[in-house]
Amino acid sequence: MTDTAESTVRSIEPALTFSFDDASTAGKAVLGGKGAGLIAMTRSGLRVPPGYVLSTACCREYFVSGAIPAGLLAQIEERLVSLERQTGKVFGGGPTPLLLSVRSGAPVSMPGMMDTVLNLGLNRPAAVALATQTRNPRFMADVLFRFHAMYAQIVLDVLDVPDPGELDAILGPLGDDPDPAVVYDTVWDFCQARLVEQGDEEVPAEPREQLRRAIEAVFRSWNTRRAITYRELHRIPHQMGTAVVVQSMVFGNLDAHSGSGVVFSRNPVSGAPGLFGEFLAASQGEDVVAGTRTPDPISGLHDLLPDAFDDLTATVARLEKLNQDVLDIEFTIERGVLYFLQVRSAKRTATAAIRIATDLLDEGTVSDHAALQMLSVDQVRQVQRPGFDPAEVVDARATGRVIAQGIGASPGQVTGIVTLDPDRAKALAKTGVRVILARQITSPTDLHGMIAADGIVTATGGATSHAAVVARALGKTCVVGCAQLVIDASSKTLSVGGHVIREGDALSLDGATGEVFVGALTLTRPAIAGAQLERLLGLSNRRSGAEVLVRATTVDQVMAAKRAGLPGVVASAADILATSARFAEVIESLRAPEDEASTFAVVEDVLAEQFTALFAAAGDLEFSIRAIDFLTDKISDVLDTRTIAVEYPHLAMPLGSAESIRAQLRGITRAVAASGARPRVSLCVRNVSDRAEAAALAVIRAEQEGSGGVELGVYLTSPRGALAAHELGDEVELVWVELRLLQAAMFGLPDEYLLAREPLDRYSSRGLLSVNPRDSIDPSVIPLLATVAGAAGANAATRVGVRVSGEASESLIGELFAHGFRRFAVDSAEAAPVRLALGKAVPAAE
Amino acid sequence: MRLSPLSTLGRTTMTRTLLDNVNYDVLNTIALKKMAAEKAIADASGVSLGQVATALDDLESQGLVVTIGTQSLPTDDAVPALVATAATRYANLRIDPAVLEMATKFEQVNGQFLKAISSWQQVDVAGRKITNDHSDSEYDSKVLDRLDKLVSRLVQLIAVLSHQDGRFDRYAVRFIRATDLVLAGDLAYVSSPTIESVHNIWFEFHEDLLRTLGQERGE
Repeated sequence: MTDTAESTVRSIEPALTFSFDDASTAGKAVLGGKGAGLIAMTRSGLRVPPGYVLSTACCREYFVSGAIPAGLLAQIEERLVSLERQTGKVFGGGPTPLLLSVRSGAPVSMPGMMDTVLNLGLNRPAAVALATQTRNPRFMADVLFRFHAMYAQIVLDVLDVPDPGELDAILGPLGDDPDPAVVYDTVWDFCQARLVEQGDEEVPAEPREQLRRAIEAVFRSWNTRRAITYRELHRIPHQMGTAVVVQSMVFGNLDAHSGSGVVFSRNPVSGAPGLFGEFLAASQGEDVVAGTRTPDPISGLHDLLPDAFDDLTATVARLEKLNQDVLDIEFTIERGVLYFLQVRSAKRTATAAIRIATDLLDEGTVSDHAALQMLSVDQVRQVQRPGFDPAEVVDARATGRVIAQGIGASPGQVTGIVTLDPDRAKALAKTGVRVILARQITSPTDLHGMIAADGIVTATGGATSHAAVVARALGKTCVVGCAQLVIDASSKTLSVGGHVIREGDALSLDGATGEVFVGALTLTRPAIAGAQLERLLGLSNRRSGAEVLVRATTVDQVMAAKRAGLPGVVASAADILATSARFAEVIESLRAPEDEASTFAVVEDVLAEQFTALFAAAGDLEFSIRAIDFLTDKISDVLDTRTIAVEYPHLAMPLGSAESIRAQLRGITRAVAASGARPRVSLCVRNVSDRAEAAALAVIRAEQEGSGGVELGVYLTSPRGALAAHELGDEVELVWVELRLLQAAMFGLPDEYLLAREPLDRYSSRGLLSVNPRDSIDPSVIPLLATVAGAAGANAATRVGVRVSGEASESLIGELFAHGFRRFAVDSAEAAPVRLALGKAVPAAE
Repeated sequence: MRLSPLSTLGRTTMTRTLLDNVNYDVLNTIALKKMAAEKAIADASGVSLGQVATALDDLESQGLVVTIGTQSLPTDDAVPALVATAATRYANLRIDPAVLEMATKFEQVNGQFLKAISSWQQVDVAGRKITNDHSDSEYDSKVLDRLDKLVSRLVQLIAVLSHQDGRFDRYAVRFIRATDLVLAGDLAYVSSPTIESVHNIWFEFHEDLLRTLGQERGE
């Protein structure tokens, strides 16, 4: 709206303050994040409680003059008058009092900034008017009490404020139908007296003074220690300043046609379409948030205020289409008029995220590109975690296997062997057993047991107890507060009613529902999320055109890769030997090689046996095998290949022993024949860095009869190897580069250092390394990677890929994609996250 | 790690012998951390490195500590020795009204702190708790501000104790270090149980306070 008041304002001091319905195109730098958001909401036609923004320039002026300049004070007053006119309410008076919220709004969200103050503007006349309007002096007392405490804490930095529980005692003597003026005086005087008693500053009684001081407090919060440090650390300019948002409050409790609520445009837990949320008739929004009253489902609004409900439904649907996302909306209805307080992207469960992305895609609301962006790789990791077989859970509940019900403190579904002692938990877990640690309570001295266990259950404690906090930090499933459980450390038993469970018995926990099941439950992958996720991953593949191979050592892993529709697997010959029943024999022959021929004959035999089953399972998948690497492989705890290399140093070189490679080729060739399958098999040698090595490898194959069907490749681990990728690609069919080893080589660190958090994370957080090679690609490595990726273009017959070990971030995978990699080899659990990351890396417009 | 066989070694010489202040401070730190190297002990206790080394020898000879490599661990006799010593060392402190008032206030702040840590780890989605993926910087900033306020509050409460026993000052120093790391963007320093995170320091303080006052843990 444009009225004379506003044009006067502009003529005094242009563009220092902005009404929410201002037509200005000023951005976040001027209006701050929140202010810009509210102006955008108003502009998009949403009914937002009117208000105004003091721009970041006001903050800068404040610091120059050390106080709010007169010109700005005049503008604040003008805006206030204009707000009174827009809302038909009066600041500091009646019949309907205008109350305000004041909040900070920096251009970038940062810590240390002042929090929101609500209900500002209560003096005696306003309080009396509020009590009269709502016919509820008790409500007024509550608002006044909360305002006083909030103002004291946020604006005046008071530490101790009276507890809301004290209000009853204060109001008690006033009787059932107290005079609002007396209520105001009683509550106000009580709260002020408490501040005086503690030597704190009092809350100003005059509304305009309350407003001015709150605005100043926002400005000052720009220079709190935390805010300054944060800006320094994140290189945010100090002169930027913060904006201030002043907004009129609407009341959901003025009459029977008022209320407040929170809705989601879709169910954020399941993802199911349709408005989902809660509504509380005749209430102020805080009641819903604070949970002081139990709200009704949003459908209740339909019966009570059909017009407002229709308005809400239509607007939410429109907003969802506009934002192309599921929204979380706070609203208040004041005397039948619907106001939007906040609209933001809804947080959602991983299951909901998948359903929402596929539904919005089907509805044509979002593009393929946008649908993929709606899902994060972490959400994919989450839903892939196996859960209990749903049918078994139903059965277990029906047959009384739920022996205790606690508080679900950290989600997950796990089955394990119960133990009552952290030391035993650690020892058991070391032997590969899944362990459930049961404790009365947990303390820091249980940490090693909690780390070792798959699940934790405690008899005491709430959702914020130590066990809960630590379990969540460790990502462990945890149920706390199972008061029915009697945990007896001396007899090593855990009992409920007449049921006794001994150490060593199986127990299952659901960390979301808080159920404790006796016995084991079968773990499976959730079917529905699976089908929808497969669709999104398929879409991802089509967009990226990339191939993701997974590491596989067992038949089950090969079958899983096949079921997931992956093009192939990678395996390490050393791992394959280690999983054989004849492993002891292999170790024996490697430890004391009489001659190379007989030693590698054993290797050949075992590989032939093992690979026969693996190839049969693989069918026509690609099967890329990394040859034994005597320089770096650790076959097992009992046999470090490096100790062999000490005695037979030539074995440590990539092409040091032709016989070793010949034996592996023979083993593979025999397995292909025996399997009856037609996998596309390759043998790749690690640490190669010279064209002559690759050429020698080709010669070995040429001389080894019958191995023509096995493709050859190299695993590059050194800068020298990476730089030679083109030439190597001329000699062999496959080129793999191992990211972790290449990074380690560039940093001159042993590659194990890139696997553990310490010492690198701490070291780089001290600012001593500009890049932490554990989570990002170093600039020095990028030209090397680009050279390797380029080898694919140089020689059409060469298949070039990158091996990424462990969990990789979305941005790291995106970066590799951008540098031209289209083939990836990853750990088996990472296939789906990496496929999604690749699909997301494809730009929107192709 | 169960150390019962070792603990019997010291049984004859201890339990009735009270620890001197330096030995108490060193042993207390080891017991709180369960396992600690000399540098970490010195850092958390405020005892100089040289004195830590002497104290460790002493404590080991008393059968209260075993050292494996660079790490010192408490034996089963360590906590009883600390409990017995604390009863004497802090007898006056335990009846000091200022300290008792501080302990009551701590209970309140502690409850708020644990709630804030939970908000940091989990976000409420329509009544369902889901893991905070830290993609909403506004939400995170709010929680971190809340945690920072609670930590400042605790540091003020700790000052009441430091007045009587300077060793408690170390907690304030450690808190500032952890909160600065969080501010710099290393979010693991909020609640990771395996590093000197804000939650870990807070928890050690809580245990320490209970022992100092001769109280039991509620949960």
